[in-house]
Amino acid sequence: MRPGDELTDEEVAEIIARGSQVRRAPDVVRARLLARARGAVAAAERARAPTFNFERAPPRRVLRIAVAAIVLLAFAAGGAAAMIHSRATRAEAVEVAPVRSASQLPVPPPAQAAAAEVPAPRASSRPRSFHRVLTPQESYAAELGLLRGAQSEYASRHFSDALALAGEHARRFPNGRLAEEREALRVRSLAGAGRADEARRVLAAFAKRFPRSVLLPRLQESARTAED
Amino acid sequence: MGYLRQVRSSAPAPLLETSCLGVYERELDYIYETLQRLGARSPEIEDLAQEVFLVLHRNWAELDISRPFRPYLFAVAFRVVCAHRRRKRREVPYEHLDPEDLTVGPEESLQSKQSARVLMAALDTVPLQRRAVVVMHDLDGVAIVDVAARLSLTRFGAYARLRKARKELASAVRRISREGVRR
Repeated sequence: MRPGDELTDEEVAEIIARGSQVRRAPDVVRARLLARARGAVAAAERARAPTFNFERAPPRRVLRIAVAAIVLLAFAAGGAAAMIHSRATRAEAVEVAPVRSASQLPVPPPAQAAAAEVPAPRASSRPRSFHRVLTPQESYAAELGLLRGAQSEYASRHFSDALALAGEHARRFPNGRLAEEREALRVRSLAGAGRADEARRVLAAFAKRFPRSVLLPRLQESARTAED
Repeated sequence: MGYLRQVRSSAPAPLLETSCLGVYERELDYIYETLQRLGARSPEIEDLAQEVFLVLHRNWAELDISRPFRPYLFAVAFRVVCAHRRRKRREVPYEHLDPEDLTVGPEESLQSKQSARVLMAALDTVPLQRRAVVVMHDLDGVAIVDVAARLSLTRFGAYARLRKARKELASAVRRISREGVRR
Protein backbone atom coordinates (compact mmCIF):
# COMPACT_ATOMS: atom_id res chain seq x y z
CA MET A 1 0.00 0.00 0.00
CA ARG A 2 1.89 3.03 -1.19
CA PRO A 3 0.66 6.56 -0.55
CA GLY A 4 -0.66 7.98 -3.80
CA ASP A 5 -2.19 4.78 -5.14
CA GLU A 6 -5.95 4.51 -5.54
CA LEU A 7 -7.25 1.35 -3.88
CA THR A 8 -9.63 -1.06 -5.49
CA ASP A 9 -12.75 -2.25 -3.68
CA GLU A 10 -11.05 -5.55 -2.88
CA GLU A 11 -8.05 -3.81 -1.35
CA VAL A 12 -10.33 -1.64 0.79
CA ALA A 13 -12.21 -4.72 1.94
CA GLU A 14 -8.92 -6.42 2.72
CA ILE A 15 -7.70 -3.50 4.82
CA ILE A 16 -10.95 -3.48 6.74
CA ALA A 17 -10.82 -7.24 7.26
CA ARG A 18 -7.19 -7.16 8.40
CA GLY A 19 -7.75 -4.21 10.67
CA SER A 20 -10.79 -5.75 12.26
CA GLN A 21 -8.88 -8.19 14.44
CA VAL A 22 -9.14 -7.60 18.16
CA ARG A 23 -5.67 -6.79 19.36
CA ARG A 24 -4.36 -7.39 22.82
CA ALA A 25 -4.49 -4.34 25.05
CA PRO A 26 -1.09 -3.30 26.46
CA ASP A 27 -0.18 -5.27 29.58
CA VAL A 28 0.20 -2.21 31.72
CA VAL A 29 -3.27 -1.00 30.73
CA ARG A 30 -4.73 -4.44 31.42
CA ALA A 31 -3.13 -4.51 34.83
CA ARG A 32 -4.40 -1.03 35.70
CA LEU A 33 -7.93 -1.77 34.47
CA LEU A 34 -8.16 -5.06 36.31
CA ALA A 35 -6.85 -3.49 39.50
CA ARG A 36 -9.48 -0.75 39.23
CA ALA A 37 -12.25 -3.27 38.54
CA ARG A 38 -11.20 -5.40 41.51
CA GLY A 39 -11.17 -2.29 43.67
CA ALA A 40 -14.70 -1.42 42.56
CA VAL A 41 -15.93 -4.94 43.34
CA ALA A 42 -14.31 -4.88 46.77
CA ALA A 43 -15.85 -1.48 47.53
CA ALA A 44 -19.29 -2.69 46.41
CA GLU A 45 -18.99 -5.78 48.60
CA ARG A 46 -17.89 -3.74 51.58
CA ALA A 47 -20.88 -1.46 51.09
CA ARG A 48 -23.25 -4.41 50.77
CA ALA A 49 -21.92 -6.41 53.74
CA PRO A 50 -24.32 -6.14 56.70
CA THR A 51 -22.79 -5.01 59.95
CA PHE A 52 -23.96 -7.08 62.89
CA ASN A 53 -23.65 -5.66 66.30
CA PHE A 54 -23.41 -8.80 68.38
CA GLU A 55 -22.75 -6.99 71.61
CA ARG A 56 -26.14 -5.35 71.59
CA ALA A 57 -28.06 -8.37 70.32
CA PRO A 58 -29.50 -10.64 73.01
CA PRO A 59 -27.40 -13.80 73.48
CA ARG A 60 -30.21 -16.11 72.43
CA ARG A 61 -30.52 -14.35 69.07
CA VAL A 62 -26.79 -14.69 68.49
CA LEU A 63 -27.09 -18.38 69.27
CA ARG A 64 -29.93 -18.76 66.77
CA ILE A 65 -27.97 -17.00 64.06
CA ALA A 66 -24.96 -19.21 64.74
CA VAL A 67 -27.04 -22.38 64.57
CA ALA A 68 -28.65 -21.24 61.32
CA ALA A 69 -25.25 -20.48 59.85
CA ILE A 70 -23.90 -23.90 60.84
CA VAL A 71 -26.91 -25.66 59.32
CA LEU A 72 -26.54 -23.67 56.12
CA LEU A 73 -22.84 -24.44 55.91
CA ALA A 74 -23.53 -28.14 56.45
CA PHE A 75 -26.07 -28.11 53.62
CA ALA A 76 -23.70 -26.27 51.33
CA ALA A 77 -20.84 -28.67 52.10
CA GLY A 78 -23.13 -31.64 51.53
CA GLY A 79 -24.28 -30.24 48.21
CA ALA A 80 -20.73 -29.53 47.08
CA ALA A 81 -19.59 -33.03 48.07
CA ALA A 82 -22.52 -34.58 46.19
CA MET A 83 -21.70 -32.53 43.10
CA ILE A 84 -18.01 -33.48 43.21
CA HIS A 85 -18.95 -37.11 43.71
CA SER A 86 -21.40 -37.12 40.79
CA ARG A 87 -18.81 -35.41 38.55
CA ALA A 88 -16.16 -37.91 39.52
CA THR A 89 -18.42 -40.86 38.76
CA ARG A 90 -19.38 -39.30 35.42
CA ALA A 91 -15.75 -38.81 34.51
CA GLU A 92 -14.93 -42.39 35.44
CA ALA A 93 -17.84 -43.66 33.40
CA VAL A 94 -16.54 -42.12 30.22
CA GLU A 95 -12.86 -42.72 30.80
CA VAL A 96 -11.71 -46.21 31.56
CA ALA A 97 -8.18 -46.20 30.20
CA PRO A 98 -5.45 -45.87 32.84
CA VAL A 99 -3.49 -43.16 31.04
CA ARG A 100 -4.51 -39.56 30.83
CA SER A 101 -2.63 -37.01 28.86
CA ALA A 102 -2.00 -33.64 30.46
CA SER A 103 -4.51 -31.95 28.21
CA GLN A 104 -7.25 -34.33 29.27
CA LEU A 105 -6.87 -33.75 32.97
CA PRO A 106 -9.86 -32.08 34.56
CA VAL A 107 -9.58 -28.36 35.04
CA PRO A 108 -8.65 -27.62 38.65
CA PRO A 109 -10.83 -25.27 40.65
CA PRO A 110 -9.59 -21.67 40.53
CA ALA A 111 -8.44 -21.69 44.16
CA GLN A 112 -6.01 -24.51 43.47
CA ALA A 113 -4.96 -23.52 40.01
CA ALA A 114 -2.57 -20.73 40.74
CA ALA A 115 -1.19 -20.83 37.24
CA ALA A 116 -4.53 -21.36 35.52
CA GLU A 117 -5.32 -18.67 33.06
CA VAL A 118 -8.31 -17.58 31.11
CA PRO A 119 -6.89 -17.17 27.62
CA ALA A 120 -7.83 -13.89 26.03
CA PRO A 121 -10.13 -14.39 23.06
CA ARG A 122 -8.29 -13.35 19.93
CA ALA A 123 -10.82 -14.46 17.34
CA SER A 124 -13.83 -12.22 17.25
CA SER A 125 -16.00 -15.03 15.88
CA ARG A 126 -15.76 -17.02 19.13
CA PRO A 127 -17.20 -14.91 21.87
CA ARG A 128 -16.62 -17.44 24.64
CA SER A 129 -13.47 -19.12 25.78
CA PHE A 130 -12.94 -21.60 28.55
CA HIS A 131 -10.51 -22.20 31.37
CA ARG A 132 -7.42 -24.08 30.44
CA VAL A 133 -4.21 -24.75 32.21
CA LEU A 134 -1.22 -23.12 30.58
CA THR A 135 1.72 -25.26 29.66
CA PRO A 136 4.92 -24.50 31.63
CA GLN A 137 6.38 -22.78 28.58
CA GLU A 138 3.30 -20.61 28.11
CA SER A 139 3.11 -19.64 31.74
CA TYR A 140 6.81 -18.81 31.82
CA ALA A 141 6.42 -16.68 28.69
CA ALA A 142 3.44 -14.90 30.26
CA GLU A 143 5.38 -14.34 33.48
CA LEU A 144 8.35 -13.05 31.57
CA GLY A 145 6.21 -10.73 29.48
CA LEU A 146 4.59 -9.19 32.54
CA LEU A 147 7.83 -8.73 34.42
CA ARG A 148 9.62 -7.36 31.38
CA GLY A 149 6.89 -4.75 31.11
CA ALA A 150 7.19 -3.99 34.81
CA GLN A 151 10.97 -3.68 34.51
CA SER A 152 10.67 -1.31 31.59
CA GLU A 153 8.15 0.83 33.49
CA TYR A 154 10.54 0.86 36.43
CA ALA A 155 13.41 1.87 34.18
CA SER A 156 11.25 4.74 32.85
CA ARG A 157 10.55 5.73 36.49
CA HIS A 158 6.83 4.97 36.08
CA PHE A 159 6.75 3.31 39.46
CA SER A 160 2.98 3.03 39.84
CA ASP A 161 2.72 1.25 36.48
CA ALA A 162 5.59 -1.04 37.46
CA LEU A 163 3.75 -1.84 40.69
CA ALA A 164 0.51 -2.48 38.82
CA LEU A 165 2.23 -4.97 36.54
CA ALA A 166 4.04 -6.62 39.44
CA GLY A 167 0.70 -6.84 41.26
CA GLU A 168 -0.86 -8.47 38.22
CA HIS A 169 2.00 -10.96 38.15
CA ALA A 170 1.49 -11.67 41.86
CA ARG A 171 -2.19 -12.30 41.26
CA ARG A 172 -1.71 -14.61 38.31
CA PHE A 173 1.47 -16.35 39.40
CA PRO A 174 1.73 -16.05 43.19
CA ASN A 175 4.34 -18.83 43.30
CA GLY A 176 5.65 -18.39 39.78
CA ARG A 177 9.19 -19.04 38.74
CA LEU A 178 9.89 -15.33 38.69
CA ALA A 179 8.32 -14.60 42.07
CA GLU A 180 11.67 -13.63 43.54
CA GLU A 181 12.38 -11.13 40.77
CA ARG A 182 8.85 -9.76 41.07
CA GLU A 183 9.13 -9.15 44.79
CA ALA A 184 12.52 -7.55 44.28
CA LEU A 185 11.03 -5.26 41.67
CA ARG A 186 8.22 -4.36 44.03
CA VAL A 187 10.69 -3.34 46.72
CA ARG A 188 12.67 -1.22 44.29
CA SER A 189 9.54 0.35 42.79
CA LEU A 190 8.14 1.20 46.20
CA ALA A 191 11.48 2.64 47.19
CA GLY A 192 11.64 4.59 43.96
CA ALA A 193 8.15 5.97 44.53
CA GLY A 194 9.22 7.13 47.98
CA ARG A 195 6.90 4.72 49.79
CA ALA A 196 9.57 3.81 52.30
CA ASP A 197 7.31 2.12 54.87
CA GLU A 198 5.76 -0.21 52.33
CA ALA A 199 9.16 -0.88 50.77
CA ARG A 200 10.47 -1.91 54.18
CA ARG A 201 7.48 -4.15 54.80
CA VAL A 202 7.77 -5.87 51.41
CA LEU A 203 11.51 -6.18 51.94
CA ALA A 204 10.96 -7.92 55.28
CA ALA A 205 8.59 -10.38 53.61
CA PHE A 206 11.13 -10.86 50.82
CA ALA A 207 13.95 -11.57 53.28
CA LYS A 208 11.78 -14.11 55.06
CA ARG A 209 10.76 -15.84 51.84
CA PHE A 210 14.08 -15.69 50.03
CA PRO A 211 16.69 -15.51 52.81
CA ARG A 212 19.55 -16.58 50.53
CA SER A 213 18.65 -14.32 47.63
CA VAL A 214 21.57 -12.61 45.99
CA LEU A 215 19.29 -9.63 45.45
CA LEU A 216 18.84 -9.03 49.17
CA PRO A 217 21.82 -6.72 49.87
CA ARG A 218 20.94 -4.39 47.01
CA LEU A 219 17.28 -4.30 48.02
CA GLN A 220 18.25 -3.40 51.56
CA GLU A 221 20.33 -0.62 50.16
CA SER A 222 17.41 0.59 48.00
CA ALA A 223 15.06 0.59 50.97
CA ARG A 224 17.63 2.50 53.04
CA THR A 225 18.01 5.08 50.28
CA ALA A 226 14.24 5.56 50.18
CA GLU A 227 14.18 6.26 53.90
CA ASP A 228 16.84 8.95 53.66
CA MET B 1 2.44 -57.23 31.72
CA GLY B 2 -0.06 -55.41 29.67
CA TYR B 3 0.56 -52.16 27.95
CA LEU B 4 -0.92 -48.78 28.55
CA ARG B 5 -3.11 -47.60 25.80
CA GLN B 6 -4.00 -43.99 25.35
CA VAL B 7 -7.61 -43.43 24.42
CA ARG B 8 -9.41 -40.25 23.67
CA SER B 9 -11.64 -39.38 26.55
CA SER B 10 -14.73 -37.33 26.05
CA ALA B 11 -13.95 -33.63 26.20
CA PRO B 12 -14.25 -32.29 29.72
CA ALA B 13 -17.38 -30.27 30.25
CA PRO B 14 -16.34 -26.66 29.58
CA LEU B 15 -16.60 -24.41 32.56
CA LEU B 16 -18.24 -21.18 31.60
CA GLU B 17 -16.61 -18.22 33.21
CA THR B 18 -19.35 -16.96 35.41
CA SER B 19 -17.87 -14.27 37.60
CA CYS B 20 -18.26 -10.68 36.55
CA LEU B 21 -14.56 -9.97 36.98
CA GLY B 22 -13.62 -13.10 35.08
CA VAL B 23 -15.79 -12.18 32.12
CA TYR B 24 -14.45 -8.64 32.20
CA GLU B 25 -10.88 -9.91 32.19
CA ARG B 26 -11.64 -12.27 29.32
CA GLU B 27 -13.29 -9.56 27.25
CA LEU B 28 -10.94 -6.74 28.21
CA ASP B 29 -9.15 -6.72 24.88
CA TYR B 30 -12.46 -6.54 23.06
CA ILE B 31 -13.72 -3.70 25.27
CA TYR B 32 -10.48 -1.79 24.80
CA GLU B 33 -10.53 -2.28 21.04
CA THR B 34 -14.21 -1.32 20.81
CA LEU B 35 -13.66 1.87 22.78
CA GLN B 36 -10.82 2.76 20.44
CA ARG B 37 -13.00 2.08 17.43
CA LEU B 38 -15.62 4.35 18.89
CA GLY B 39 -13.08 7.13 19.10
CA ALA B 40 -11.86 6.93 22.71
CA ARG B 41 -8.19 7.68 23.15
CA SER B 42 -5.48 7.56 25.73
CA PRO B 43 -6.43 10.04 28.42
CA GLU B 44 -10.01 8.87 28.75
CA ILE B 45 -10.10 5.29 27.51
CA GLU B 46 -9.30 3.71 30.88
CA ASP B 47 -12.02 5.70 32.60
CA LEU B 48 -14.49 4.62 29.94
CA ALA B 49 -13.48 0.96 30.27
CA GLN B 50 -14.02 1.26 34.00
CA GLU B 51 -17.48 2.71 33.34
CA VAL B 52 -18.26 -0.27 31.11
CA PHE B 53 -17.18 -2.56 33.92
CA LEU B 54 -19.35 -0.72 36.45
CA VAL B 55 -22.41 -1.11 34.21
CA LEU B 56 -21.57 -4.78 33.78
CA HIS B 57 -21.16 -5.25 37.52
CA ARG B 58 -24.36 -3.39 38.33
CA ASN B 59 -26.43 -5.48 35.92
CA TRP B 60 -24.61 -8.74 36.42
CA ALA B 61 -27.43 -10.49 38.29
CA GLU B 62 -29.91 -9.90 35.44
CA LEU B 63 -27.59 -10.78 32.55
CA ASP B 64 -28.07 -13.95 30.58
CA ILE B 65 -24.50 -15.11 30.14
CA SER B 66 -25.46 -18.05 28.00
CA ARG B 67 -26.15 -15.68 25.11
CA PRO B 68 -23.41 -14.01 23.04
CA PHE B 69 -21.92 -11.39 25.24
CA ARG B 70 -20.06 -9.10 22.89
CA PRO B 71 -23.13 -7.41 21.36
CA TYR B 72 -24.20 -6.48 24.88
CA LEU B 73 -20.72 -5.19 25.72
CA PHE B 74 -20.64 -3.21 22.50
CA ALA B 75 -23.96 -1.58 23.28
CA VAL B 76 -22.75 -0.65 26.75
CA ALA B 77 -19.49 0.73 25.36
CA PHE B 78 -21.40 2.70 22.75
CA ARG B 79 -23.68 4.30 25.33
CA VAL B 80 -20.76 5.06 27.61
CA VAL B 81 -18.93 6.79 24.76
CA CYS B 82 -22.07 8.72 23.77
CA ALA B 83 -22.59 9.88 27.35
CA HIS B 84 -18.94 10.87 27.58
CA ARG B 85 -19.23 12.92 24.43
CA ARG B 86 -22.34 14.64 25.68
CA ARG B 87 -20.46 15.51 28.83
CA LYS B 88 -17.62 16.93 26.85
CA ARG B 89 -20.11 18.64 24.53
CA ARG B 90 -17.80 18.69 21.60
CA GLU B 91 -16.89 16.44 18.75
CA VAL B 92 -13.70 14.44 18.82
CA PRO B 93 -11.19 16.70 17.11
CA TYR B 94 -9.45 15.60 13.98
CA GLU B 95 -6.02 15.43 15.61
CA HIS B 96 -7.20 12.25 17.30
CA LEU B 97 -6.26 10.59 14.07
CA ASP B 98 -2.85 10.36 15.63
CA PRO B 99 -2.63 6.64 16.30
CA GLU B 100 -0.25 6.93 19.25
CA ASP B 101 -2.11 4.31 21.26
CA LEU B 102 -2.64 1.77 18.57
CA THR B 103 -0.29 -0.64 20.19
CA VAL B 104 0.37 -3.74 18.20
CA GLY B 105 2.40 -6.65 19.33
CA PRO B 106 5.67 -7.44 17.59
CA GLU B 107 4.16 -10.67 16.33
CA GLU B 108 1.73 -8.77 14.16
CA SER B 109 2.81 -8.19 10.63
CA LEU B 110 3.60 -4.75 9.37
CA GLN B 111 0.70 -5.09 6.99
CA SER B 112 -1.90 -5.73 9.65
CA LYS B 113 -0.35 -2.99 11.78
CA GLN B 114 -0.67 -0.56 8.93
CA SER B 115 -4.20 -1.76 8.19
CA ALA B 116 -5.21 -1.29 11.81
CA ARG B 117 -3.89 2.26 11.74
CA VAL B 118 -5.64 3.11 8.50
CA LEU B 119 -8.88 1.54 9.65
CA MET B 120 -8.81 3.29 13.00
CA ALA B 121 -8.10 6.64 11.36
CA ALA B 122 -10.86 6.02 8.80
CA LEU B 123 -13.35 5.05 11.50
CA ASP B 124 -12.68 8.33 13.26
CA THR B 125 -14.07 10.18 10.26
CA VAL B 126 -17.42 8.35 10.32
CA PRO B 127 -20.01 9.94 12.63
CA LEU B 128 -20.44 7.94 15.81
CA GLN B 129 -24.04 6.81 15.30
CA ARG B 130 -23.22 5.30 11.92
CA ARG B 131 -19.81 4.10 13.01
CA ALA B 132 -21.39 1.98 15.73
CA VAL B 133 -23.51 0.15 13.17
CA VAL B 134 -20.68 -0.54 10.75
CA VAL B 135 -18.28 -1.65 13.49
CA MET B 136 -20.83 -3.94 15.07
CA HIS B 137 -21.96 -5.49 11.80
CA ASP B 138 -18.92 -5.48 9.56
CA LEU B 139 -16.10 -5.83 12.09
CA ASP B 140 -17.73 -7.77 14.92
CA GLY B 141 -19.96 -9.83 12.65
CA VAL B 142 -23.21 -9.20 14.53
CA ALA B 143 -26.40 -9.78 12.54
CA ILE B 144 -28.21 -6.60 11.56
CA VAL B 145 -31.32 -7.64 13.52
CA ASP B 146 -29.25 -7.82 16.68
CA VAL B 147 -27.46 -4.59 15.83
CA ALA B 148 -30.82 -2.85 15.51
CA ALA B 149 -32.06 -4.35 18.77
CA ARG B 150 -28.92 -3.50 20.72
CA LEU B 151 -28.66 0.04 19.45
CA SER B 152 -32.42 0.68 19.75
CA LEU B 153 -32.90 1.24 16.01
CA THR B 154 -35.45 -0.02 13.54
CA ARG B 155 -34.13 -2.58 11.10
CA PHE B 156 -34.58 -0.14 8.26
CA GLY B 157 -32.72 2.55 10.19
CA ALA B 158 -29.87 0.16 10.89
CA TYR B 159 -29.61 -0.78 7.20
CA ALA B 160 -29.68 2.86 6.13
CA ARG B 161 -26.91 3.75 8.56
CA LEU B 162 -24.88 0.73 7.54
CA ARG B 163 -25.09 1.61 3.86
CA LYS B 164 -24.01 5.18 4.41
CA ALA B 165 -21.31 4.27 6.92
CA ARG B 166 -19.80 1.72 4.53
CA LYS B 167 -19.51 4.36 1.84
CA GLU B 168 -17.95 6.84 4.23
CA LEU B 169 -15.56 4.25 5.61
CA ALA B 170 -14.43 3.03 2.21
CA SER B 171 -13.82 6.53 0.93
CA ALA B 172 -11.94 7.44 4.13
CA VAL B 173 -9.79 4.30 3.83
CA ARG B 174 -8.98 5.26 0.24
CA ARG B 175 -8.16 8.84 1.14
CA ILE B 176 -6.04 7.93 4.15
CA SER B 177 -4.18 5.24 2.26
CA ARG B 178 -3.48 7.76 -0.50
CA GLU B 179 -2.28 10.46 1.84
CA GLY B 180 -0.76 8.19 4.50
CA VAL B 181 -1.81 8.14 8.14
CA ARG B 182 -1.06 11.43 9.81
CA ARG B 183 1.65 11.23 12.39
